[in-house]
Order: sequence, then C-alpha cells, then structure tokens
Amino acid sequence: MFNKKIHQYITAIFGYALITLSTTVFAETILIKNATIYDGNTNKPYEGNVLIDGKIIKKVSPNDMQGDFIIDASGKIVTPGFIATDTNIGIVEIGALSVTRDDSSEIYKIGFSIYDAFNPNSTLIPWNRSNGITSALTIPQNTASPIGGLGSFFVLDGELDITGEKDMVMTGRVGGSSNHSRSETYAVIDDLLSFAKSLNQKDLSKDADISEVIDNSTIAEFMELHPRDVRALFKLLNNDLPLVMKAHRASDLLKLVEIKKKYNLNLIIMGAQEANLVKDVIAKNDIPLIINPINNIPGSFDELASNIKMAGMLEKADIELMFTAPRSHNFHLIRQGAGVAVANGMSYETAIRGLSATPAKVFGLEKRGEIKQGNFADIIIWDADPLEPSSMPEYVFINGQSIDLTTRSSRLRDRYTSDPEKPNTYRN
Amino acid sequence: MTNLIKYLQLSILVFLCFNIELSAKPFESTYEPLPPINLLIQNANIYDGEGNEFQQTDLLIQDRKIIAIGKDLPVSDSFQVIDATGKWITPGIIDIHSHMGVYPAPGVSTSSDGNEATSPVTADVWAEHSMWVQDPQYTLALSGGVTAFHVLPGSANLIGGRGVTVKNLQRNTINSMKFPDAPHSLKMACGENPKRVYGNRQQAPSTRMGNIAGYRKAWIEAESYLNRLNEYESKSEDAKEMGYKPTRDLELDTLAGVLKGEILVHNHCYRADEMASMIDVAKEFGYKITAFHHGVEAYKIADLLADNGICGALWADWWGFKHEAYDMVQANIAIVDQARNGTGCAIVHSDDAIGIQHLNQEASKALAAGLRAGFEITKARAMNWITSNPAKAAGIYDQTGSLKVGKNADVVIWSKNPFSVYALAETVFIDGALAYDRATNFYPSSDFDVGIIKPSKNRTE
Repeated sequence: MFNKKIHQYITAIFGYALITLSTTVFAETILIKNATIYDGNTNKPYEGNVLIDGKIIKKVSPNDMQGDFIIDASGKIVTPGFIATDTNIGIVEIGALSVTRDDSSEIYKIGFSIYDAFNPNSTLIPWNRSNGITSALTIPQNTASPIGGLGSFFVLDGELDITGEKDMVMTGRVGGSSNHSRSETYAVIDDLLSFAKSLNQKDLSKDADISEVIDNSTIAEFMELHPRDVRALFKLLNNDLPLVMKAHRASDLLKLVEIKKKYNLNLIIMGAQEANLVKDVIAKNDIPLIINPINNIPGSFDELASNIKMAGMLEKADIELMFTAPRSHNFHLIRQGAGVAVANGMSYETAIRGLSATPAKVFGLEKRGEIKQGNFADIIIWDADPLEPSSMPEYVFINGQSIDLTTRSSRLRDRYTSDPEKPNTYRN
Repeated sequence: MTNLIKYLQLSILVFLCFNIELSAKPFESTYEPLPPINLLIQNANIYDGEGNEFQQTDLLIQDRKIIAIGKDLPVSDSFQVIDATGKWITPGIIDIHSHMGVYPAPGVSTSSDGNEATSPVTADVWAEHSMWVQDPQYTLALSGGVTAFHVLPGSANLIGGRGVTVKNLQRNTINSMKFPDAPHSLKMACGENPKRVYGNRQQAPSTRMGNIAGYRKAWIEAESYLNRLNEYESKSEDAKEMGYKPTRDLELDTLAGVLKGEILVHNHCYRADEMASMIDVAKEFGYKITAFHHGVEAYKIADLLADNGICGALWADWWGFKHEAYDMVQANIAIVDQARNGTGCAIVHSDDAIGIQHLNQEASKALAAGLRAGFEITKARAMNWITSNPAKAAGIYDQTGSLKVGKNADVVIWSKNPFSVYALAETVFIDGALAYDRATNFYPSSDFDVGIIKPSKNRTE
C-alpha cells in the first residue's frame, strides 16, 4: 500500500509517461541519494548516489549530484534488480493445469523455443517483480533429447511489446532414469555434438538442404530431428551459446567437463548437488554453477552429497555461483536461498553477486546485473536486508521506470482486510 | 472337574479381556529419552511460545522438565551452565504437517508410502506403518530446531488414514519415536487431489460434489458402527455373553474414534468455500475439525475458522502449483491469527523436508506480511505459530510447545534472533537431553547416511 502511494506520487509529479512509456524523450532524471549500494560486482558496499536518466544509469558516485526527482535512500540497501535463471516465469500460469503451460513440445527436440509463448501479463511477473526479480532467463522443461530446448531472456516490465533476447541459451540434462542408462545418454549427446560439429553454414540455408543432412546422419535420422533442431545445434557450437545442463552426481559433473572440453562448449551446470565432491575440477575448467543452496536433501541417488554448506565450499574454490529455486511462482525465494547460503558460510557479497552480476556476466546479458554508469537502470531500493526473506523492495526500477508494486496478491489482501462492512464481492 | 472347567472359562474370559485391552491400544509408544542433563541457561533472550518475550533471562532445566524461568536464577553445582548472552531461546519447533518417513529421501518408488491411493476412503491405514525410520531427513529437521512433528498420509484420498506425532529423535523402530500419549489424527482431503486421482479412473469422486458425498457416506457408516458398538456396550454382562460383539472394522474404528473425540481431524483444504462446506459436514456428524491444512484461501473465512475453533495450518507464500492454490495472500497466516480480536489459531506448517528446517524463516515472512497489512503482531506472538499452536493441534500442548514451568524441556538455543535468515539452531534439547549440538557436530545420523558415498565417512562428511 505504501509502495503504491509512492508510485502514485511519482506518477503525479512526472505524469503517466514515466510509468508506461519509453523514457527516451523524457528529460527529468531520478536521483537515489545516500544509499548503501551493493553494485553487484566484487566491491564491498559503499554509500553513494545513483542518477537515473531515462532507461539508463547516468552516474553512480559517492559525491552529491543533482536530480529532478530525489529519493532519499538513507539507511537503505540498493542493489541491481535480481535476475532469475532457470525459471518458467512467463510460460506457466498454474503448475498443474497443462492448458496454462507452454513449456514443452512434442515435435521439436533441440530447437524448441519458448520465446513466442511468453506472456507478459502472467501473474507470476508482478509477484516476482514486487519481490525484487527484474528479469528472467525462461527455459523450457525437458524435451525428448538430452540436450535441447532453447531458453530466452526477458525483461519483466510486463509490457506486451517484449524486451528480451530470443533463444540465447540451450538446456539439457543427464542423470538417473528409470528407463535407460546414463551411459546411453552420454552416447546420444556425443553423437549429437559430433553431428553438430560436422555441420556447415552453407548446408543450413534451405530446409531441403537440412533434410538431406538429416538423412545422411544416423543420429539425426534416428532422433527424427527437424530443421529447427539442426539449426539450433549449429548455433550451439558456432555461436558459443550457453549450454545449461542439469546434473547432480559427481561422476556426471566430471563427464560433462570432458564433453565441454571435447566440443569447446560454453557449459553451465544447474543443480550440481554433488559439486563439492569435484569442486577443484569444476573450478579449473571455469564452469559456472546454478545451485539451490537451501536444498540439502539427498532427494535422489544422484544427490547423496547434498549439503547445506555447499555454497560456501564452492565459493572458496572460486567457482562462479548463481541461484535457482524450485518453483517459478516464488522464484524470488532465491533471496532466501542466498540468505541461507550466507548463514552457512558463503560471503554476503558473493551471494548478492550471484543474484545479479554473475548471471549477467555468465549469460552475456548486456548492461544488466550491475549498478554502473551506462547500464540499464534495473534497480531495487530495499526496505531492509534483501537476503532476509521478510524484506521487500520499496522501489523497483526496470529500464529506469518505477514499477507499480501492486500485485494480484496485494489486491486480494486489501479486499479482505478493508471495508468489512461491505459484502466481500463488493469490495475494491 | 467342574472347577477346572470354571477355571478354564475364567482364564479364557481373562485372556479375552486382556486381548481386547491389548487390541484396543496396539502400537504404543516405547519412546525413551536420551540421558537427561540438569542445566542452567543464563542471560538468554527468550520467546516462550506463549506470546511472551523475556530479555536477558535464565532458564532452568531439571529432570527433563523446565523448572524455572527468571532473572539471575541461582547457580548450583548440580547444574551445567551455558552462557547464552546474545543468543535466543525458543521452545522446540513443531511441524504439524510433515511427510518425512512416508515420503523419505531419496524419493524413490520403493519407499514412496504416503498415499494408499487404492480407494477414496482408507481410514484403516496408519501413517506410522509407512514411516521409514532411517529417513535421513529427520536429522536435517533437527538442525532447524524441530523437536516433534506430525506425519500425515497424503491427500489422494477423501479420508486418507491416521496420522502420527513423533519425537524428532531418530530410532530404529517407529514405536520408539512415537510421542507418548499423543492422540492419533485423521487425514481428510478436499478438492482437486481426490477428484483427480479417482476421476481419472472413472470412479467416484470425480467432482467436488462427489467429494462431499464421499465423506458423508463414510460418516453415516461410522455413525451406524458406533451405534452398534454403543448398543453392545450398554447391555448387561449376561446379555453381552448371549449376543455377538460387533466385528471390529479397522476403517470404522478410526472414524468412530473421531466421532468419540479421541482422534483429531486434520483436513487438507485450499479453497474457502470448500472449508465452509467441510465445517457443515463436521457439524452434521458431530465431530470437530482441528485444523485445515494448506488453506491458501483461509483469509477469506478467517472469522468462520475462529468462530469454530479451527486452526489454519498454512504456508507463508506457496501458490500457483494448482488452481485451488492460486489466490495466495502472504498475510494469510496473520489474518487467520488476528481474526475475531486475535482469537484465531494460526500455524506455519511445512509439508516439505526443506521447509521444515526453516519454519522460523517461514514465520518471519508471514509476520512481515502481517505487519505490512497493518496488523500489530509481536515476534513473540508469531513464535506461537511454530510452537504452541501446532502443539495444540497435535494434542501435545500439555507436554510441550511452550517454555512453561513443568513442561518437557524441549528447547532450542539460536545463534541470533530466530526471525532472521542468519539465525542457526545451535543446540537442541529434547526432554531435557542434548539431541543436537552444532559446535561439536553432535547429532543423530540415519543408517542410510553411513558409508554411502565414501565407505569410511558419513553422507555429509
């Protein structure tokens, strides 16, 4: 309610344009003053001021600056907007209702893209945004191929005119399965990547040519690949597309390192519940990890080494860490996970970085994830420590726009805590 | 000869009586606590689970009980002393909704024993007979300060069976973990799960109205069974000898236990309208619902819950995984707590082996949401949501759930204020015995953890 008022205040002063329109033609600047800034990179926090001009951070400085609209953030922590990796935000509305899920394909195995399914009006967006998530790497769920499925990057401004980057990661997974050996999975991955390596740009311009390539490949024919799948495989190897592989068991993590080396992949491992058993190899090969640090459950025989202290141990091994949470509806709980990681041995600064600058760097999200001059102004002003799950943002800026923090949830709350004299369906 | 026959008859009668007595209470708790220590915890900040906060206060534990709370309690040679300056003390945390043991880790089909999803009414099954005592998750919950938890069957069925409350002290038989004198519960489930499970098999229930009909049919049978039992019991001894005792029915035993008030109803139910209907079913058959579980829409009928003395066992923020869990409000727990001038009963539950380790953080989120919604709620009161209120709902409040003089010494020492994410449970006492100590790596481990990755080490070493 408080947030809404401030938003209305800003709206009243600047007009609606600030909230709804591109601010490139908008002259006024916003100055966030006297904040405790965690800028997302390796530095310790500092007291300073952030000047937002249009979509962009114009200046960050410990020195005083002038701004048209000033927000006093004394005693408040300011961070970059947090980035969700490994999420279904925008492509799932209700988990158990398949009609609201757009995260799988029965036709495409490798080149399946979720980009066109993204729904900027999903209720998951305002909810996660009001909890500090300003952009998301949305990925499909498993396909019929162990590598396959393309994820896209989305700025969570809720605009129907989507700001994002299409098909900028490929996903995959290996591990225990009730119907086949993981050895078979590795053979399929090796065959697919070997096929990918054999592809030439000139063979990929026409679908008819691709069909011929498929016919001449045992694995492509056996997997019933489509031209979209083949183009995606080519892109994986030739455009250095990040490959996010979900795997847990120590032996699987080592196997993935071998595959990375053999095919020179831009590999990121997700899950990695046993990473602490092979942390030196992961560090030596510069493989970033997306972990859920609150998960210490030996949930499968692939995850026996699950350990609440893992995040701290991996940090000490100099591994780049990002965070995931099991449910996209509350993906913002990566903050709680990061807080638990800090409680169990990770440094606070690395945890903040894992929520912001690390994913921006690892996934090449240009001008995101850090509060620095020239970056897009994705900025959160927190009411308290962002790693305390009880904290929430007071302000969220995405591309320099102040976001209305109203959610369907806050509306329902207000509906049942005000106007009790009215029949409930006649309230707000 | 006649005397012998009489003797035999008597013996048989005695045997039968004894037998009846035995069968009336099978599977009794054989719990034995760890060795007690007499302990003075000094200068701690305390949330007592009764809504009170005490700063820089001492707590005295003797012979497994809390015997004093106060400033500057006298030091004596017969007590160990812990200096808890800057630390916090709470009652042992209690989770009213757990599936540890019945859905143990690793989650594999061979030990996935939480849902007897073969018939919509399986009041005859008992969760304790599915619980795997070697589940490695119990000790993880202990590291989050959990000293007791209530394990329920799953929600596939309208009536899923009996739940059990256990001490969080891992042992190698389930009876030796059972909380002494804790009542059984009955798990019931509304909504999507039963109608999906059985509807997919083209059998009843396949709709919500089919669900309600299913409960009512079961209770009609239970009423009739209880009437037959009561009718038999009201007969003279002679008449009893002449007649037949009604044959025991495990399913109806459980339901009759609810109607007699001996078994507490814990009802999985998300939607407000369905909770209201379930209250009507309970009134029709004269039983009480102890708690609605999950209740994502409880805030919509918070007054109705308070008026009927029903607790809401709720999550701080889970939503969206099902349609009936779509209308999440983070202030749900606070709204239920504050209903009818603060007479509501709110519980933070986990239903999750990770969540159970951080119930203090879940309570912290729920409290913060309540404050943002404009309620005035203290941290000391919010502590009740994970201690005394679940103890009441599990029927063990006379023994535990708050730091009252005379109660079991189930006590957690936290490194910081437990409403912070950075607070760790440092030391946990169950019945005045040391059960967990973070600094010295003292904790139970399951057989599963032994040598499973490296033969010479335990799982997480």
